[in-house]
Amino acid sequence: MKLLVCIKQILDPEIPVRDFSIDREKLEADSANANQVTNIFCENALETALQLRDSVGESSITVICFGRESAEDSLRKALAMKADEACLVMNDLNHTPDSATTAHVLASAIESLGSFDLIFTGRESGDWGNGQTGAYLAEELKVPYLPFVDDIKQTDKGFEVRRQTESGWERYGIPASSVVTITNSDHNLPRIPKTRDIMMSHRKTITRVSFEDLKIRKDELNPQSDSVRPVKLFVPEKESACEFIEGENLNAKIDQLADKIMEIRSTL
Amino acid sequence: MNPSDATREVLWNISNSWIMYALLLPTLLIAGNGILLRIKRWKKGRPVDRLDRPLERLQNVWRHAVLQRRTMRNRYAGIFHAFIFWGFITLTLATTVVFLHHDFGWQIMQGRFYLYFQSLFVDLLGLLALIGVGMAAWRRAFLQPRFLVQSSEATWILVLAFIILGTGFLLEGWRIAATDDPWGNWSPVGSLIATFSIHWMSVETMQFFHWGVWWFHLLLVFGFIAWAPYTKMLHPLTATLNIYAANLKPIGASLKTIDFESEESFGINRLDHFTWKDLMDLDACTECGRCTAVCPAATAGKSLSPRDIILDLREKSRISNKRETTFSDPIIGTAPSLSTESLWQCTSCAACVESCPVSIEQFPKIIDMRRFQVMEEAVFPEPMQQALASIESRGHPFSGSRFSRLDWTEGLNIPEIKDRPDAEVLVWTGCGGSLVERNQKSSRALTKILDRAGISYAILGREEKCTGDPARRMGNEFLFQELAKQNIQTFEKYKVKTVVTSCAHCFNTFRNEYPEQGGQFEVFHHSEYLKRLLDQGKLPMKSSSDRKITLHDPCYLSRHNHMTEDARSLLQQTSSQPLIELERNRQNSFCCGGGGGLSFTEEPSEQRVNRQRADEILKTDVDTVAVACPFCTTMLEDGINACKGSRDIKVKELSELILESLETEE
Repeated sequence: MKLLVCIKQILDPEIPVRDFSIDREKLEADSANANQVTNIFCENALETALQLRDSVGESSITVICFGRESAEDSLRKALAMKADEACLVMNDLNHTPDSATTAHVLASAIESLGSFDLIFTGRESGDWGNGQTGAYLAEELKVPYLPFVDDIKQTDKGFEVRRQTESGWERYGIPASSVVTITNSDHNLPRIPKTRDIMMSHRKTITRVSFEDLKIRKDELNPQSDSVRPVKLFVPEKESACEFIEGENLNAKIDQLADKIMEIRSTL
Repeated sequence: MNPSDATREVLWNISNSWIMYALLLPTLLIAGNGILLRIKRWKKGRPVDRLDRPLERLQNVWRHAVLQRRTMRNRYAGIFHAFIFWGFITLTLATTVVFLHHDFGWQIMQGRFYLYFQSLFVDLLGLLALIGVGMAAWRRAFLQPRFLVQSSEATWILVLAFIILGTGFLLEGWRIAATDDPWGNWSPVGSLIATFSIHWMSVETMQFFHWGVWWFHLLLVFGFIAWAPYTKMLHPLTATLNIYAANLKPIGASLKTIDFESEESFGINRLDHFTWKDLMDLDACTECGRCTAVCPAATAGKSLSPRDIILDLREKSRISNKRETTFSDPIIGTAPSLSTESLWQCTSCAACVESCPVSIEQFPKIIDMRRFQVMEEAVFPEPMQQALASIESRGHPFSGSRFSRLDWTEGLNIPEIKDRPDAEVLVWTGCGGSLVERNQKSSRALTKILDRAGISYAILGREEKCTGDPARRMGNEFLFQELAKQNIQTFEKYKVKTVVTSCAHCFNTFRNEYPEQGGQFEVFHHSEYLKRLLDQGKLPMKSSSDRKITLHDPCYLSRHNHMTEDARSLLQQTSSQPLIELERNRQNSFCCGGGGGLSFTEEPSEQRVNRQRADEILKTDVDTVAVACPFCTTMLEDGINACKGSRDIKVKELSELILESLETEE
């Protein structure tokens, strides 16, 4: 069985406030001082795939990432967690492409890699949180799609999956080659790699694929071609002020405070 | 009566003494076999250089084996042990004298030597040994210290020692009485027994009993010699060897370095992966329990017991020996003391190592086993996983911190080394000093002091990464080495020569662990560095406060590096009141609970190590607890705040207190 997991490297969600800034021209977060990490839902997806492989045996897992050079770290980590192959689709665009473009690039790369029995993505990424790449990808590949999956079993016809909903779980049968997006649950916390596997991951080769290899024309991929564009991006400014309530006694102070609250409420 | 004629008849009243010699041979064979079995076990361990620097090693043997210095740290046990130890050594020497005199014909057992040594001294030391045995028995039967191992073996050892000593005195007394020994008064205990016996027994009865008891005494002594190597009574030999082979480096440098290119397995989960010294440790243990008695996890009621780790490993080494098969069986999880739960409770404070009278290294073995759990099994507590994952991806263990490494410098003019490459010192703030809000104040205080002293310094800012101390103590040696390499590269890039840090953990790692990774720079803990500045007259301090201060010694200074006095000297300058000492101070300090990766975990509230220390501090009437490590600062502040009630007591970092007394000067 061949499994494919799409992963994304994102700006560390725990980035210190001081280090976070926004590029007002590109309308995206500045990555100058920022640390890059693997998106947590993508790690959940990889863990789910690893567990499926553990349960059925005789399977291989390929991890693919559309990202910058730094995304090699995320792929190495996936290899350390014992994915078999890793492929980096190199993004040398000047801007961060939207979900549809990302899915388009990924679909081309996946087709060049061969066919897969199941394709995993994270349910959404921790930076923009759009949660659309998986759906677009299924559309591009023309295969069935199921989001918010947290558990997968192999069956004769394909897979039985469990899907998280607001009120509980749903179970579905899906055919092979489908795309599933994975959400987090108690049992798909990403495993800690063993040291020897970390060491081995540095000796493995990561396949690098360029736009040229995929016969994608780079000039077609520009911010204007994206289907969704942010209008404005900014860090909300927070203001705080401190004022001491004066008054002769406690009751007077409470009255003052109540007046003050009413006054502020009327301005909101 | 001429004293130079004084002597006594050897083997008085004993015929067929050849039987004694005939019995000696099997006795020595059985004992020798016991010793050889142990040596064979030690040889299964891995090599380690513990026989270098013989003079220093002999000095240690002199101090801690012969003079019993470390044993003496526990008064009661130290005294009775010294009585027994010196008593038996003296009695053995006396028997050797008899042997040389009688069997080799060296006429030494006579004259003044006979009177002063062989009679008076030996008699008194024998008495002390008897008193010692009594005190030991009293302790076992009635005082019953909580962490002492109660075993039938230990009871039998005391019973045997008592009977051997007692029958020795009876034999001496009856001989003096029956032979009317003119020099008998030189043996006070013997002559006392002689005086009593004369009243109760005829000379013939005494002769008869002397004969019987002499053979009984002989059998007991030979039996004891043959049995001892199979019991903890081998410790006179193994403890001495262990003290000789002790770690001569600071405790802070006692963790093993793994060569990841050549090592087959990372960490230890089988006996033969330990070093021969580790295995000798097991046989050196006397079951005194001091390591567990001082272990913060054990006294907080957790399951960790360094003593039991040693004893359970010893038990395994003996079973393996019987089976003559494997030293390769897994050890982790095979006994309560070796459970993963216990192994993760260690704060790496090294109180166990410091307290051991026979130089056993308990905590490095715990780290060895943690390494196996982390690097081979990848199974360890979740909060520690988070801390390690954060170090891997962000270079610091404080997952969830919203601070950057520069936030604490806000509003101050603190240069980064890239802007001031010629700075005299690099101030290493550390993750604890920059990413935890409470400690940012002390980090600022340190730089203000340096400004006052006119020191040219700089910080690394964003280029700082965790030193690897928590990673190494949590068992991720691989990550530690990676971080060390990266930091050393950064130091080389800026040609850093001198580093000053207020974190005791960073300091220890830099000083004791980086040299092996190629780090070539000088490092000072800020207490050390500021003391120098004080001595050079660069810190104009005026003790204007009347704070009642006590100092909580950080483990990584006081025990891991035996550095205790600089902080005290500085603190004495900050208040008009004398410094108050806690019950457990200097190298006997008690852990704040934050080492070994434990500050990243959540302890059950009733088992918190920091509360134990807070309780100890609150027993004094101090109003200020001085600390010299960011981990101690936060752990103790939490502990004190939880326990202090309405009392006004503050935890202050050393720099904060010094800065106060500098500021009042203006």
